[in-house]
Amino acid sequence: MRRTLRAAAALGIATAIALGPTGTSTRAAAPSGDITVWAMGTEGENLGVLADQFMEEFPDVSVEVTALPWDAAHDRIVTAIAGGDVPDVSMIGTTWMGEFATLGGLEPTPESIDPAQFFEGAWNTTVVDGVSYGVPWYVETRLIYYRTDLAEEGGFNQAPANWDELTQLAEALVEGGAEYGISLQPGGTGAWQTLMPFFWQAGGEIVDADNNFTLDSEACVEALTFYDSFFEAGLSQPTVSDVPVEGQFADGTVGAFISGPWMIGIVTDAGADPETWTVANQPTEEAGTSFVGGSNLAVLEQADNKEAAWAFIEFLSRPEVQVTWYETVSDLPAVQASWEEDTLANEALLSAFGEQLQDAKAPPAIPTWEQVAAAIDGQIEQVTVGDSSPEDGCAAMQEEADSIGTGL
Amino acid sequence: MTTSLRAVPASARRRRRGWRKALVGWAFALPFVLLFGVFMAGPILVSFITSFTDMRITHIRRPFEVGFVGLDNYFEVFRDPTFRKAARNTAIYVLFAVPLTIGLGLLVALALNQGVVRLRNLFRLGFFLPYVTSIVAISVVWRLILGTDSGLLNGLLEVAGIDGPGWLTDQQYSLWSIILMTTWRGLGLQMIIFLAGLQAIPNELYEAASVDGASPWHKFRYVTIPQLRPTILFSTVIASIGLMQFFEEPFVMTQGGPLDSTLSVAFHAYNQFSFGNYGYTGAISYVLFIVIAALTLLQFRLLRPAS
Repeated sequence: MRRTLRAAAALGIATAIALGPTGTSTRAAAPSGDITVWAMGTEGENLGVLADQFMEEFPDVSVEVTALPWDAAHDRIVTAIAGGDVPDVSMIGTTWMGEFATLGGLEPTPESIDPAQFFEGAWNTTVVDGVSYGVPWYVETRLIYYRTDLAEEGGFNQAPANWDELTQLAEALVEGGAEYGISLQPGGTGAWQTLMPFFWQAGGEIVDADNNFTLDSEACVEALTFYDSFFEAGLSQPTVSDVPVEGQFADGTVGAFISGPWMIGIVTDAGADPETWTVANQPTEEAGTSFVGGSNLAVLEQADNKEAAWAFIEFLSRPEVQVTWYETVSDLPAVQASWEEDTLANEALLSAFGEQLQDAKAPPAIPTWEQVAAAIDGQIEQVTVGDSSPEDGCAAMQEEADSIGTGL
Repeated sequence: MTTSLRAVPASARRRRRGWRKALVGWAFALPFVLLFGVFMAGPILVSFITSFTDMRITHIRRPFEVGFVGLDNYFEVFRDPTFRKAARNTAIYVLFAVPLTIGLGLLVALALNQGVVRLRNLFRLGFFLPYVTSIVAISVVWRLILGTDSGLLNGLLEVAGIDGPGWLTDQQYSLWSIILMTTWRGLGLQMIIFLAGLQAIPNELYEAASVDGASPWHKFRYVTIPQLRPTILFSTVIASIGLMQFFEEPFVMTQGGPLDSTLSVAFHAYNQFSFGNYGYTGAISYVLFIVIAALTLLQFRLLRPAS
């Protein structure tokens, strides 16, 4: 705690020094100069489109976009921060925020940016220990994809409203001819993203208000028991298949799975007839919460041209620019107003995602999250494949998380 | 220095010439020494020191906040259940993969040295090719072969009416699948080394053995094996050092799963590094290093030619 205070104080002073000369005098003037922007994957390859539009509007600014591969991005950013040779703006994976902010690498978000324009769950991924460092750029959330034709055959005709109905849906899908009712990840990297929504739905929280882990709770046991019940009943395959899930879904081996918006295109490409499947929101128990992921945009603390950097981020957060971005790379807008534009509002499947985003949470932005997540993944596997009970699994998650600590 | 110079001028001159020689020698060695110092010895020293500290990723901009914790990281390594599991996997892997690779390598070398005459080069090439191919490429291909639902092997078994197991997804098979793949890949190198060793054995020894009425088995047991002893030592040491650090195979094929059944010590260290636990990663690496060094020493003791 003392360390955090000291870090916060140091950061505050550093910020004051950095903003001192430029912050006051040139605030009113239009941004100018060069900025470099790092972005990963498809976003990195296509961001040039938006950079060109930005430079048309702000001719004094020159934006240079560098595309990074996802695999190398984390280490590149760490190295950049350690060496002090940083880009002005970088795309940051939501689960990395805690780490980079605690490193002292990110600049706090200026007050001119209104948090309310973004989805709440997405905005919270930028907040580390009470301070926001950046804005959500695009979002994704997890819905239930299921085969309506097989479900009808098995006698189930609506979207699953709660846990019991999700089990019924899986049973009906098997009845209707699927080998496995629902594909759930039995463990391995990222399994927590499928389990945590159930944990939240049962009323659980990963950390309490003081950032202490609260994984060993009734909600965790309920969620893990529910998750495991699909494996116990043979409704889910206990191994990760080497056939991609979209293929299994298209040929009816798997009746349902839980995933993000990118699967709409992938499932269609895999040859699934659009008439035979749809998406449903997460089932509701105490809540109907899903997981929110995506990426944020942040200005680096050691950046040379913060003025222009924030101007670029504000430009990317405009509702109409977010829609252009959706049309370019199919990233879902983090800005709520964009969802009222026709492009998104008229897509039935997409609006389900928009609706779910109103109730979607991210894990706490703590620097050790990746390690805690790996521990949770390991315990999920111990329960679904190994012979741990859900009670033991939750107790072990808590113990491992406590020994890792939050790192704040 | 000055006193000796005044006392014995001749030796001083010689010494000065010696200095000059040393200087020239160092000048030639300088590029290597510099590169080695900056890129090898330096980082090795730093990582050694790091292993006694609580350094985490969050310290990289505040290196002065790093605190020394003595041997805590090392104690933690032995308390860590994941490390213990990884150590057990690594031990099983080395215990089986090393003798298998060496045994099969020797067998193939013997066959190519004596039996197979036609197409010898083709066979030699065939066995050696896997070794010079990237482990990652090989692992990707083997993952396709060993896949549970759409793998080539299980496809063949299905034709024979057998429901193949999850070679990489069932914890009973996963490590063994990787051991077999490693053996297949590694035996090419062993074969080349043994071929060289076999060709160095003087023919007279075999002739003398024939005169004494030795059977082919006796010739193998009492001529070939003792003569190959230095080669076997070399092979064992090289194979053990390499295999103790196995990483790419599980990284590509299983990600260490299922249930950590293919997690190696090197992989565990990699994971801890990517979590940003630099001090702890250092401790794991040095434990692995010490075990490798001890094992190598032991092998030298046991397999040293009895001269």
